[in-house]
Amino acid sequence: MGLATIVQTIAHTLDEEMRRDDRVVILGEDVGKRGGVFLATEALFQKYGPDRVIDTPLSEAAIIGAAVGMAVHGLRPVAEIQFADYIFPGFDQLVSQAAKLRYRSGGQFSAPMVIRMPAGGGVKGGHHHSQSPETHFVHTPGLKVVYPSTPHDTKGLLKTAIRDDDPVVFMEPKRLYRAIKEEVPEEDYCIEFGKAHLRRKGDDVVLVSYGATMAETLKAADALHEQGISAEVIDLRSLLPWDKTTVCRSVARVGRVVLVSEAPRMANFMSEVSATLTEEILDALLAPPIRVTGFDTPYPYAYDREYLPGPNRILKAVQKVLSY
Amino acid sequence: MIKDSQLFQPFSEKPIRLMGDAGEWLGSFELNLDSDTLLKFYRDMLRARLFDERLLLLHRRGQVSFVAPSAGHEAAQVAVAAALKPKKDWVFPYYREPGLLLALGVPAVELFGQAMATRADPNRGRQMPAHPGSRDFNVFTVASVIASHLPPAVGTAISMKVRNTGEVVVASFGDGATSEGDFHAGLNFAGVQGAPIVFVCQNNRYAISVEYHKQTAAETIASKAEAYGLPGYLVDGMDVLACFFVMREAVARARQGFGPSLVEMQVYRLGPHSSADDDTRYRPVEEVETWKTRDPLARMHRFLAHRGLWSREEDLALRTEIEREFRQAVEDAQRAGAVPLEWMFEDVFAELPDHLREQRRDLL
Repeated sequence: MGLATIVQTIAHTLDEEMRRDDRVVILGEDVGKRGGVFLATEALFQKYGPDRVIDTPLSEAAIIGAAVGMAVHGLRPVAEIQFADYIFPGFDQLVSQAAKLRYRSGGQFSAPMVIRMPAGGGVKGGHHHSQSPETHFVHTPGLKVVYPSTPHDTKGLLKTAIRDDDPVVFMEPKRLYRAIKEEVPEEDYCIEFGKAHLRRKGDDVVLVSYGATMAETLKAADALHEQGISAEVIDLRSLLPWDKTTVCRSVARVGRVVLVSEAPRMANFMSEVSATLTEEILDALLAPPIRVTGFDTPYPYAYDREYLPGPNRILKAVQKVLSY
Repeated sequence: MIKDSQLFQPFSEKPIRLMGDAGEWLGSFELNLDSDTLLKFYRDMLRARLFDERLLLLHRRGQVSFVAPSAGHEAAQVAVAAALKPKKDWVFPYYREPGLLLALGVPAVELFGQAMATRADPNRGRQMPAHPGSRDFNVFTVASVIASHLPPAVGTAISMKVRNTGEVVVASFGDGATSEGDFHAGLNFAGVQGAPIVFVCQNNRYAISVEYHKQTAAETIASKAEAYGLPGYLVDGMDVLACFFVMREAVARARQGFGPSLVEMQVYRLGPHSSADDDTRYRPVEEVETWKTRDPLARMHRFLAHRGLWSREEDLALRTEIEREFRQAVEDAQRAGAVPLEWMFEDVFAELPDHLREQRRDLL
């Protein structure tokens, strides 16, 4: 498909999947004529009509709940939640229905569905357009959680999500929606969940991140390179399942790790990564794993720059792990 | 949206009734049901009543941890089942509906297995009692979170509509459920889509202890349909014939593409909310006694006897037969055995992921 941004790749991938499988339907607020407020469903309504691209009432509970019922009946719904922050009015449907349906019915019913949502800060949206609620999702057994950071990975992961037999929360780095343009292959390809992407090889420190903060993490790695410090950079790509093997292997070899995520620090996903590293490869660690995260405040409108883990905070953490 | 039906008017002031207290026919049209159908209504209602009694016995013996008695609701539940095509149409029930599931044909052994969490439960012992479900009969597995099944029910109905399958959904719930946001989300979306679904509220006047007038200032639940552009029917829910005829029309309309309806069936919970409840703390005994005189089974019994279709001897014989069936079903459910510990980790996902494989290995 040539050079494309993340948001263009989403629309293109949805189109390919709808063409491939007529069970795939889209539902959400403004996904129809408007093509989504970020244009992630652009032109699909015109192409597939109102039975496959469904503009819903303004109700996240209706969107997620109806997607569950559609999935139970054999469709493959892709629901859009306009901002990850608006998952909460539909949260019960996600947690009590979608996530638990297979388990509570003993495998009789299941909800193969995708819930797409732009997440993260840095767009001057205040706390109700900027949050990173991924911890809520990984803490809910029954959900898979994916968070790509590039157009290439977006296509492969979204295809896997749509074809997966379980509910998948597909988080999208909204501040990178149009920030990166890269060559996205034309062919049909899927990226397996739970397989991290080694973005840089290095020997002095490992930087682990996912989603929007991959951009800042790579900037930090560039800056370290200029200082003669070689950083290995891992993009997790999916949080549940997450690629423990790759992370443990890299960190065991290098001995020092910085974990970057813009969600609040308390029970941040990276706290799980840190706990796993200390439980499983303590002997190989030369320094404690250090997290660089958002703060435990509501997302602060006026302090985007200070709140988000930018390159400077990442570099400071690297200095700390190197000092041991 | 068509808001009228052939036989019944929506938004009536008084509940639609077809059977008087003495069991007399009140309909303005000729009763065109054969005696087998009428007897099946009674049989299904009696099975529901005796199923509950068997569960309460098991509860007293410590073999079941929880019971949500449905006595008083039988007519409503049996009528819903009778209006549907079993295994073709879908039902999204709430937790107090053994009568609906039994009448649809769900085997009693599965329901007892569910209540005792044995291998006889197709839901593999994953939930507390009163939370059954059956893929074979298109019965969506019950969730405790009140009204949370309504948006999924609407999604299934939308899927039926866009694929033109000719199927219908019935979603049922109590009066308390109408205060939840999911009730609004579900009825609103169903109305917009004209989805083939019938919402059935079994209004028993109490959400555990909270009485109807503390739940809503609306005179009736049925009246809430107006705001969603749906017809709302107020029905005597202890009159199996009224429930059946109203449901039959609502289901037919949904199947023909004329969209959803809301049917309020006014019932009364003759027992406590559950085996853990003491209903004398919040409702007068006299009130319960008054409602007992309207018992849906007794009324149907009178109706049948009136027409020479049923005798005391036949009634005793039927009770004996059902009790024998249920004793056997309980025995079969117990003999199926406890669910094995390995099952704890299954069905979280379609395939067992590595982290659960590790956790299982650590436990076993």
